[in-house]
Amino acid sequence: MVSPELLLTAVVFLPTLWALFTAFFEPKATEAIRYFGLFGTALTFVLTLIVLWQFNPELDVKETHAGYQMWFQMPWVPDWNVNYSMGVDGISLPLVVLTGLISFLAMLASWSIEKHVKGYVILFLLLETGMLGVFLALDFFLFYIFWEVMLLPMYFLIGIWGGPRREYAAIKFFLYTLAGGVLMLIAMLMLYFNSGRSFDLITLAEIGQGNIAEYVFSPTFQIAAFILLFIGFAIKLPAFPFHTWLPDAHVEAPTPISMILAGVLLKMGGYGILRIAFPICPYGAQYCAYGIVALGVFSIIYGAFAALAQTDFKRLVAYSSVSHMGYVLLGMGVWKISENADDAVYYWQMGVSAAMFQMIAHGISSAGMFFMVGVLYDRVHHRDLNKFGGIAGLMPQYTGIAAVLFFAGLGLPGLCGFIGEVFTVLSAWQYDHMLAIIAAGGVILTAGYILWTIQRVYFGPSYKGPHAEAIVPANSRELLVGYVLLAFAILFGVCPNLLFYEMNPTIERFVHQVDAGYDKALEQLQAAPPEGVETTWIP
Amino acid sequence: MDTVGLNSYLLVAAMLFVCGVVCMAVKRNGIGILMGVELVLNGANLNLVAFARYTVLGLDGQVMALFVIVLAAAEAAIALAIALNFYNNHLTIDVDRGSELQG
Amino acid sequence: MGSTGETLRNLLTLAWLLPLIGFLVEIYALCWTHRLSKAPAYLAVGCIAAGFVCSFTALMTWGVQTDWVVFQSTHHDEHHEGDHHGEQHHADEHDAETAHVAEPAKTDEHHKHAEKAVASAPADALAATHADHAAEHGDGHSEEHAAKPTVFAGTFYNLGSFGPLKISLDWYIDSLTLVMFTMVTFIATCIHIFAMGYMQDELTEDYVDHEVHLANHEHFHRPGRFYRFFSFLSLFCFSMLGLVLAGNIFQVFIFWELVGVCSYLLIGFYVERKSASTAANKAFIMNRVGDFGFLIGLMIIWTSLGTFQFFDSVDAEGHTSQVGLFHLIRGTTGEMQLSADGQQVLLQNEVGELLTAGENLRSIPYWLLVTAGLGIFAGCIGKSAQFPLQTWLPDAMEGPTPVSALVHSATMVAAGVYLAGRFYPVFTPEVLLVIAYIGCITLFLAATIAVVATDIKKVLAYSTISQLGYMMLGIGVGGWGAGLFHLVTHAFFKSLLFLCSGSVIAGCHHEQDMRKMGGLWKKMPITAATMLVGVIAIAGLAIPGSQAVLGETFAFSGFHSKDAIVATALAYTKLNAVHGLLFLAPLVTAGITAFYMFRLWFMTFAGAPQDEHVYDHAHENPAVMTGPLLVLSLLAATCAIGGESGPLYKLLALSEAVPAGASTAPSSPVTIVLPTHGQVHAVHATAGKFALLAAGLGTLVAYLLYCRKALNPAEIGRQFSGVYGFLVDKWRFDELYDFLFVKPAHSVGRWCQGFDKVVLDGVLHGASSLVMLVSTWDRWFDERMIDGLVNLVGQVTGQAGRSLRVVQTGHLRQYVMWIAVGVVVLFAALFTALPK
Repeated sequence: MVSPELLLTAVVFLPTLWALFTAFFEPKATEAIRYFGLFGTALTFVLTLIVLWQFNPELDVKETHAGYQMWFQMPWVPDWNVNYSMGVDGISLPLVVLTGLISFLAMLASWSIEKHVKGYVILFLLLETGMLGVFLALDFFLFYIFWEVMLLPMYFLIGIWGGPRREYAAIKFFLYTLAGGVLMLIAMLMLYFNSGRSFDLITLAEIGQGNIAEYVFSPTFQIAAFILLFIGFAIKLPAFPFHTWLPDAHVEAPTPISMILAGVLLKMGGYGILRIAFPICPYGAQYCAYGIVALGVFSIIYGAFAALAQTDFKRLVAYSSVSHMGYVLLGMGVWKISENADDAVYYWQMGVSAAMFQMIAHGISSAGMFFMVGVLYDRVHHRDLNKFGGIAGLMPQYTGIAAVLFFAGLGLPGLCGFIGEVFTVLSAWQYDHMLAIIAAGGVILTAGYILWTIQRVYFGPSYKGPHAEAIVPANSRELLVGYVLLAFAILFGVCPNLLFYEMNPTIERFVHQVDAGYDKALEQLQAAPPEGVETTWIP
Repeated sequence: MDTVGLNSYLLVAAMLFVCGVVCMAVKRNGIGILMGVELVLNGANLNLVAFARYTVLGLDGQVMALFVIVLAAAEAAIALAIALNFYNNHLTIDVDRGSELQG
Repeated sequence: MGSTGETLRNLLTLAWLLPLIGFLVEIYALCWTHRLSKAPAYLAVGCIAAGFVCSFTALMTWGVQTDWVVFQSTHHDEHHEGDHHGEQHHADEHDAETAHVAEPAKTDEHHKHAEKAVASAPADALAATHADHAAEHGDGHSEEHAAKPTVFAGTFYNLGSFGPLKISLDWYIDSLTLVMFTMVTFIATCIHIFAMGYMQDELTEDYVDHEVHLANHEHFHRPGRFYRFFSFLSLFCFSMLGLVLAGNIFQVFIFWELVGVCSYLLIGFYVERKSASTAANKAFIMNRVGDFGFLIGLMIIWTSLGTFQFFDSVDAEGHTSQVGLFHLIRGTTGEMQLSADGQQVLLQNEVGELLTAGENLRSIPYWLLVTAGLGIFAGCIGKSAQFPLQTWLPDAMEGPTPVSALVHSATMVAAGVYLAGRFYPVFTPEVLLVIAYIGCITLFLAATIAVVATDIKKVLAYSTISQLGYMMLGIGVGGWGAGLFHLVTHAFFKSLLFLCSGSVIAGCHHEQDMRKMGGLWKKMPITAATMLVGVIAIAGLAIPGSQAVLGETFAFSGFHSKDAIVATALAYTKLNAVHGLLFLAPLVTAGITAFYMFRLWFMTFAGAPQDEHVYDHAHENPAVMTGPLLVLSLLAATCAIGGESGPLYKLLALSEAVPAGASTAPSSPVTIVLPTHGQVHAVHATAGKFALLAAGLGTLVAYLLYCRKALNPAEIGRQFSGVYGFLVDKWRFDELYDFLFVKPAHSVGRWCQGFDKVVLDGVLHGASSLVMLVSTWDRWFDERMIDGLVNLVGQVTGQAGRSLRVVQTGHLRQYVMWIAVGVVVLFAALFTALPK
């Protein structure tokens, strides 16, 4: 048993250490730097696998710290009650491993980066630290620090290594995320000063769920805090109408960064909602549940329609991300309170599990799709969908992998996207018939834009764009990345229970705790309706 | 008043002071002005010593006088150096010829 | 006993997974063999043939297990209504993994019971009594129990479980599963073998595709893709068999989509052809429209009933942990239990007791069950190309002909009918009415288009749609057995017809236009003869009066199954007179079917050659292609032997889960009564005569028009050019959908894109412009106001200094003067001001 302090700290800070080492390299030794960076991400991935191996989903709650395993806490800024506190549970673990995997693959995809390789690798590794830190931190302050830390490398990675409009995209990305961060900061301080100065997410959740007598988050307070937190995370997710940074960022970002962006960064939004917004503000969450679901459904449809209209390959995939992340919101929000349906909470559990699954599935399929676009872009240096065609004949094996990954995004059974999409939709009917039907309608649109894209890019007799001579079959490095993603897409599509097994106990506990927390808030509200809260607010 | 009292000292000192000031005001020769300065200082010294002798000022007055003497020496050295430089620049020590201090 | 279930499971699982392994190996054929190797094809054939052997063995095993009830009851064919029902017996063994639902085994001894039971009330065919259940476990897995189960089911593994909600991959084996398995694997084997000949020209390094038009007017060259074709076929077989084996409706949906994607891959096999890839997209998207409904049905079932499984799952202690769908809705008697007001369907458990939740009875609103049924059926509409989603199937003929034979006629498109049959217990009579009408519209509509089609494959495609409409109609009017019977017979004769057309196409060097053929029977005798068998089978011709001689009507398979459907439809319309169309349409269409099928045959094989070039180069195909034709024509002729008292029908009917003769809920606005077997049997002879008459007329007209040339068909076409054009344009559905859905979707897409660009980005850019404006003001304020103030202070100070400089003259003596004066003034002031 490795000590958790050491293990989790190593997971988070190994990339930083590696970035430090990289700084001593001769800038011209690009190949060495790439291999060194690759080795660092590989090592981090191995460490995340060790976390996975150490994690026991069946462990009794009493043997864990409020459900968190490998939990530890050390004072960091004692005067403000800020702690260096980390731990994993079934919600963060899959995302941590996903981050390790996608970072490794993205680094493998970084061979196409020619400019300032040293700086690129250093920033990349710092970015990885930020991402892992967000998923592992159990102290709100620490979480916030990592959240912001991750922002800067991303800004430079887009702004320096991006496409022609990179400055615009980078600033847009930065401002959007920063705006979300500010809202989160406000909520964080609200919580801090109303909880006897605690940043500890576990304590805050206990207070929010009404389990600590001295402090109470009143329903109005919860609603306000939830909305602030939710908007902050929804920007990252991204949900309509906060999504317009995503297409620009993706289009301008270099391929590996697009992979990271779609594969990991978007998941932070969903993770934040599950880790922070829901447990701390159960009443607020229930109050806003309809809005969350409606927003999710609207994002699904809106993203799909917008994708249908794109002519830029990467933009299309970016809009498909908006559409797919809509399912995440949908699954999280299907929390119905009704007296005569005791098992409604199980459908919500299914929704949350499916939303988590969808995050992982999207992490794999969208990273794959962006990589596939990148492989083509590296050859022909354009992304105009109307100027492709005939790639299937020129790059057969690549086309096969790409088709499977696109089908994974389309939600084909046997591939990961299917489980996430269909399970969320299945869980939605009990919440609201109309929204469920609209969400189910997304399957048609998704099929429409993905198949049309495949037809325009891969099928047809001949390639119609410039640089036809540059189209050569994929090399072994590209195939490796493709096959790894393909393998995971099929694995999770065929055996989704591998993933559900890790998540289920946590999510089951999660829904029941949050549900109980809502009941307590409701009792409190009914006992003494506070000033300014109309009784009609009670759903 | 059969003994020499404080007033006598003060009188002498005042005369010395006035002589010094007049000397400074009318002399055009730089050295002459320096002499005037010495007179003023010594007039002041005399006052101090006299106060030391006749009042509660005591030893402090004498110490102050010693200070002034030392300062006067230093001042004379610097002033002579200035005069020398003045001479080097203007080939005279007539202070009216120099107007470098004009604002 | 579990051993039988396990044996069947193992055999069918093997048959199911072998093609998957085949696919994985074949798709990488270039890694282990070369492009010109036939090894992938041999592998594919080996896999599917082994699958057939397994399936057939399983069928035999099952027959032995059930003591061949199918054959024992054949001499009771006068009592159709009694044959398929029996008293409930149960013998099975439970472990944690498997649950077996018992069915009656019809030993002679039990048969008497059966008849008694039927006399009083329609008995159940699916379920077990709980008493038996308990008793059996008390017995401790008694092997000697008299009755033997005919349904076996169990779970492969779990996909996900959320509290009490579980979704798993299951298997469900009854006679329908076995028949489908055997049929699919057999036909697939034949078609694989045929394809080895048909796809021969892909065995090359330089395949020239004449259908692709390049910008420079040259032919398109590419390497052959023989191996890829076979790998896709294998993948399809895997998916199709998985669909049939599925033990829950969600799993059906999984494989439903997988067959869809295989169909997509195979239609788009010639990816270079724009028409092929467009047709592939169309097929997939149209199917997805249906699947949208399917998904809604799934949502309702999942939320209202909490399970997808067809069968009851049993936990380790032998207690039923989750009642399956069929028992929930139909209980053990096959009847729905409605609440007093008829608005709710009460849920039942595995022994037919009503389930409770707390103090209330568990129930599902009736309208919700109707909606769920319609939703699931929407999926069937898409897959089986029923009205209004029929337009994709003719376009799907872009795929190579063996694909059309296997995927788009015999198996995949029939999956919709299979599902409608499998899910029959959940359908209410209202849903069945919709099914019947959809089938009715489809069969007529498609037949009319087939009359004017000139592409040999398109005729067959429309005929497929039409025949699928028959099956749907059969199921919709309560003829469960009739519909599925037609599914199986159709699979044989339609795959035969398609392979024959493939043989013609290959023989004529990829000429598909029937107007350029004619007189080919001399060049292709085997093809012509086998195709004639198929045409007779589909047209439903029989020798009138042969019943008196032979004891049963002498006819090929199509006659028997279509006869069964028409008879059920007639019985139905007798009970529900307002729905008379449901009998008239299939009857008329039977005539049209005979007409266009014979038209096809006459145009192709009879008469004088129409195009010398085609005729001169036409040739009969090698044995690898004609062999399968012969085998299939044998089966197309004989598979339905005995009609409704023959083994095939009886085998299928064993799985009939709901007794015929249900009726709608009392609250329903329209009252529908489904015919019982007895009522159907009573009108059987009448219906048969009508159908035969119609078919005969159709044949005669075709003969006169296309063989004897009594009238010029082209002239008729000109006379009725309005109708003719309308039919040639396929009732203009494509244009309608393009106008209604495709164009609006793109418009909305562009609108969303514009909204993003104009509104959302506009707001953002507006906000940033505002910030820029504010900062401009800020700069102005900084530069003018703040800096100005500071500079002002500086300037004033400087001014003061400048004005004071005159005092400083630089004259030393003046300074001393001023000092002296100052001192004097000071003293003067001091002494005057100071108090004395």
